[in-house]
Amino acid sequence: MRSRRLARENDPNIVREDDTESLSRPKTGGAGGPSVEVTDHEIGGHMNTAGFVVETSGLTKRFGDRVAVANVDLRVPRGSAFGYLGPNGAGKTTLIRMLLGLTQATAGTMRLLGRPVPDERAAALARVGAIVEEPRFHGHLTGRENLTVIAAAREPEAHDRIDGALARVGLSQRADERVKRYSLGMRQRLGVARSLLADPELLILDEPTNGLDPAGIHEFRDMIRGFVAEGRTVLLSSHLLDEVEKICDEVAIVDRGQVVVQGSIADLAASGKQTILIATSNEEQALTILSEHRAVESAAAESTGIRVTLHAQDGAASDDISRRLVLGGLAIRRFEPARVSLEQRFLEITSRLEEAA
Amino acid sequence: MSTTAVTADLPRTRTSRNWQPRLVRAELLKLRKRRGLVISALALTVLPMIIGYTVLLSIHAANPGKHGPAGGLENLSGSVEMLTLLSGVATILVGATLGAGDLGAGVFRELVVTGRSRLALFAARVPAGLGLILPIVGAGFAVTATGSIVFAGSLDAPSASLLVGSAAWLGLVTALSLVLALGVSSAVGSRGTTIGILLGWQLIAAPVLLEIGWLGSFREGLLGAATERLEPAALFEGGTTVPMSLAAAALVVVAWTVVPLALGAWRTYTRDA
Repeated sequence: MRSRRLARENDPNIVREDDTESLSRPKTGGAGGPSVEVTDHEIGGHMNTAGFVVETSGLTKRFGDRVAVANVDLRVPRGSAFGYLGPNGAGKTTLIRMLLGLTQATAGTMRLLGRPVPDERAAALARVGAIVEEPRFHGHLTGRENLTVIAAAREPEAHDRIDGALARVGLSQRADERVKRYSLGMRQRLGVARSLLADPELLILDEPTNGLDPAGIHEFRDMIRGFVAEGRTVLLSSHLLDEVEKICDEVAIVDRGQVVVQGSIADLAASGKQTILIATSNEEQALTILSEHRAVESAAAESTGIRVTLHAQDGAASDDISRRLVLGGLAIRRFEPARVSLEQRFLEITSRLEEAA
Repeated sequence: MSTTAVTADLPRTRTSRNWQPRLVRAELLKLRKRRGLVISALALTVLPMIIGYTVLLSIHAANPGKHGPAGGLENLSGSVEMLTLLSGVATILVGATLGAGDLGAGVFRELVVTGRSRLALFAARVPAGLGLILPIVGAGFAVTATGSIVFAGSLDAPSASLLVGSAAWLGLVTALSLVLALGVSSAVGSRGTTIGILLGWQLIAAPVLLEIGWLGSFREGLLGAATERLEPAALFEGGTTVPMSLAAAALVVVAWTVVPLALGAWRTYTRDA
């Protein structure tokens, strides 16, 4: 199992499958340092689940011999923008389709807004809005009529929300045009308006910025943050690292159907290998000292100094490095931790997985 | 883009007030906004009746000695027979669209995501389909019924009871065709395929099977045999092709109603959206 292989790494900030003390509740970043959670398989059994709008346990979907979603344990905290990040074909959409009752799970359990699905699917989905893949509409109907059709399937109050939803996504002026004349961006907005008819506590958006131009993506990003500011939870599925990093507070990285790591973006980025940017009075000598240090994985000269990657997060090691540089007679002009992006962390994780496979 | 909250204080519980009528109205909206479909249905029902009576009136006016009046019982019989055939085609178009329209547009999953029961979504299609097709077929029948009375001339005009019976029978046949088309299209998931299958069945296969005598009582299971048994005797003279009891005919009609609906409902329920 890929997540078990990952668990062999010596990273104290990652909660692992075999870290049984950590199974009772998810860690959050705080005074104790960053925390990132890797798939545990006992979620929900002995924990307070009130803080999660989505909880899955051992969720699996097979198509014949192919496993699209493999034993996924996912917990989406209420009131957050949560990224479900993975490459194309990783099983993101399949998981969302199972959550929404569009396809049946092969195994495992799910809870939406605290309600078990599919047992209480109708009650759970009453407060869930979703865009799955590309939003689809009846092209021969106007935008408003399309919303009327969906509102009819929801509670009576949903009909009263149509005008507000159209206004919110900026489609009031075009609401009475047939949807077949809408651009892709307008359809995406109409899809959001449609999902707002539920007055959703949870919005599930599957690759929502596909096909949008940069301005549209920016607008979409602001809108999603606006939803979160209102106390709604947004579960955003995407293969775009940059998008998830800019929008989301928390993230689960999924690969080949499995959640390989899960936690806050800040913690996730901080939980990887430590990188330090160093500038000294003698770069060659500094490189020699650094290459001999046991904590240093790599050291490479750049235009602004030397980028040093340590084997792990290790404050004592960085202190020792600075001390040795000074003892070597070098003047240190720069010594600062490099900001690690989610993309770097993602690549780090997946490359480790590939090595372990 | 505005950041105004859409619905901050709306109720958080779902109520069932006006539930089903809203779903039916939504289905009806989807149908009646398909202009091509509505025009086709009118062209297959009302238009042929108007054309038929126009032609009959014209030839009667041109040569009254050779061509009798355009109306009367006999012409009613002929025009209702034609209307039954053509309205069957129109009903298949409507039923196929009704059953596969959401799937074809990709909207079915959007409806499922609302949490609404799939069976409720399916059930709403039946009254919606009837709500569209019955008025259209009714308009066609109104044209022919009016023509048969107004232009009866020296011929016997149909009685009120015959007109009511004929209208009811035509309504039954239309409803059965709709249910069949809805069930098949919901099961198959394709409008085009459903139309192909049902037109082939209704216009070719079923009539041929009805005429094959050696099939014997097997033919009693055909919908055409049952509806023929139920048609007003005064409208179509010459008896039925397949003799059967009224109870057997009613049973066959029920079976042809229940089976397609059950098939369509089951597939709607189990389908990956």
